[in-house]
Amino acid sequence: MTLENHEAWPTMTTTVTDKIRDRIERIVTTPSIPAVFLPLVDLLSGPAEEANLDEVVRLVSYDNAIAAQCLRVASSPLFGMVKPPKSIAAAVMTLGLQRVETIVLTSCMGEAFSREKWGIDPVAFWRHSLGCAMVSRKFSEKLAGVDGERAYMAGLLHDLGFLASSMAFPEEFAVAVERACREQIPLHEAEQATMGFTHCETGRALAEKWHLAKDILDVIAHHHAPTQAGSAGSLVALVHLSDELCRVRGLDYGYYERHKVDLISDPAWSILLQDHRDLEGVDLARFTFELDESAAKVGEMVSAIFGPVAA
Amino acid sequence: MTSGNPSVLAKPAVIKAGESIDPVFRQIRDIVYKACGIFQLDEKLYLLVDGCGRRMKQLGLTNSRDYWNLLTAQSSRDAELRHLLNELTIGETSLFRSQPQIDALRKVILPEIAGEKIKQITKRLRIWSAGCSTGEESYTLAMNMLEETEGLLKGWTIEILATDLNDRSVETAKAGVYGDYALRSTTDYFKRKYFTPLDGKKLQVQPEVKKLITFSRLNLQDDSKMLFMKGMDLIFCCNVLIYFDGPSKSKVINHFFSNLNFGGYFFLGTSESLLKLNDQFHLVHFPGAMAYWKPSLKSGKL
Repeated sequence: MTLENHEAWPTMTTTVTDKIRDRIERIVTTPSIPAVFLPLVDLLSGPAEEANLDEVVRLVSYDNAIAAQCLRVASSPLFGMVKPPKSIAAAVMTLGLQRVETIVLTSCMGEAFSREKWGIDPVAFWRHSLGCAMVSRKFSEKLAGVDGERAYMAGLLHDLGFLASSMAFPEEFAVAVERACREQIPLHEAEQATMGFTHCETGRALAEKWHLAKDILDVIAHHHAPTQAGSAGSLVALVHLSDELCRVRGLDYGYYERHKVDLISDPAWSILLQDHRDLEGVDLARFTFELDESAAKVGEMVSAIFGPVAA
Repeated sequence: MTSGNPSVLAKPAVIKAGESIDPVFRQIRDIVYKACGIFQLDEKLYLLVDGCGRRMKQLGLTNSRDYWNLLTAQSSRDAELRHLLNELTIGETSLFRSQPQIDALRKVILPEIAGEKIKQITKRLRIWSAGCSTGEESYTLAMNMLEETEGLLKGWTIEILATDLNDRSVETAKAGVYGDYALRSTTDYFKRKYFTPLDGKKLQVQPEVKKLITFSRLNLQDDSKMLFMKGMDLIFCCNVLIYFDGPSKSKVINHFFSNLNFGGYFFLGTSESLLKLNDQFHLVHFPGAMAYWKPSLKSGKL
């Protein structure tokens, strides 16, 4: 794959790096990410039974846009309520934590990025991001000592760069997306071929600007070249493999990729194996079947909130 | 934002799906998986529930726990599992049964094989449909390969070997006559191009498709014959190995591994897996499809 040789900042020319930073700075200056976003995602990324519902309700209430959206979706006929919920607490109960999380995420991103400028189908984007989060967490359960919540968060945000590219390089990114769909190749390869850099770099610039944690930033910057992630290798490798799996099990970007995934030959597999010998015992076929089950649920949830993915 | 979309109204039932299924059926799913590698997803668990239901009716059982006991008691489990597997694979024989498998073949695998064979003077593609039953899969493969003969496979010799243990199935396969049910996933394009209408509603496969295929009877457990099936690029063996016990299955899989060329692929049915019976094959993924790959020599991954 062409991106195997690709590296982040160190080997890129200063001009390209500066251009990306400059554009990100200018385009995504205002509005910035809503203050409640990270605490909320943190709270929601754990196992549902451990989440502190009062705290979720408190944080949701802080943000008008998120609160309004929760009330609106909870009032939709989908939930079959005789009377629409009147309080934030009732809305959160009706929706369930998973849907609240989707709403939090989409509202926050929706505020930060003007929707009409998205270079890719938002529904496919959310389906892939949530799917990758879910698969990353599922994968982490198979490996002793990996923090499932961290894996979830990393999976959720790994493609942040698509949003950054949509805003900072709208024309160039649109060309890359069009080429990826037409040639049925992975998006990052099309970006590299047409723009000379990928969503890994733009995502990294945005993550730096937003002061995201180092491990998450590493995942955003290196998930297509996990061998270059250095010390954060394990988490990056895990998200890389989950991303690859999502793209062949229906949690893709909504177009066919001529793509063969050979997980056990993937360098990321060896990276994970160094720290986690238990990986050898994973029945990959069965893991895939189980993943399909959760994938169907992610698909339903995203469709319930956004409508179907455009063909 | 498109959340006001009317499609939201049309799908409320989906969200509750799978919640009311008797947990015993998930346990039966585990038994079936451990015995033969077939896995029914939650969304398809109704197939398993239906299959068990038909067996229970035949046996005069009304309680799913009683059926569970029958499936787990040492004296009855092997025979009953066989009956249940028959029920589970009913209706899986149609043409174009798995479009993702066909897409993987034409869009990813064929270009790869063509690349590997670029220096060979006689270009030959050998496919084996092992356990071809009444021929649906074999003809699907043949038609799709014919579609490629104007492009990727121009000038190639294409050979499809289709074998089955059952003589009657092989005879039916040779005739190549199919009705609506078997053709339910076949598009008009393929029907018009590769079939001739017969009396009634049936369609017959045209000679140009048939001549790519050699049908014959073969027992996959016949070691001496298995050794002769050499030089395969692709092997398809759908819903056959599920009926074999562990050691026989393992033996057949090892045969398949040697029957394949380096860089060749082995496909099982869409919900089947090898249960780690062979660690030389790599499980590989394509969009919506899985296959087992015998790594090519130059990949250095063997």
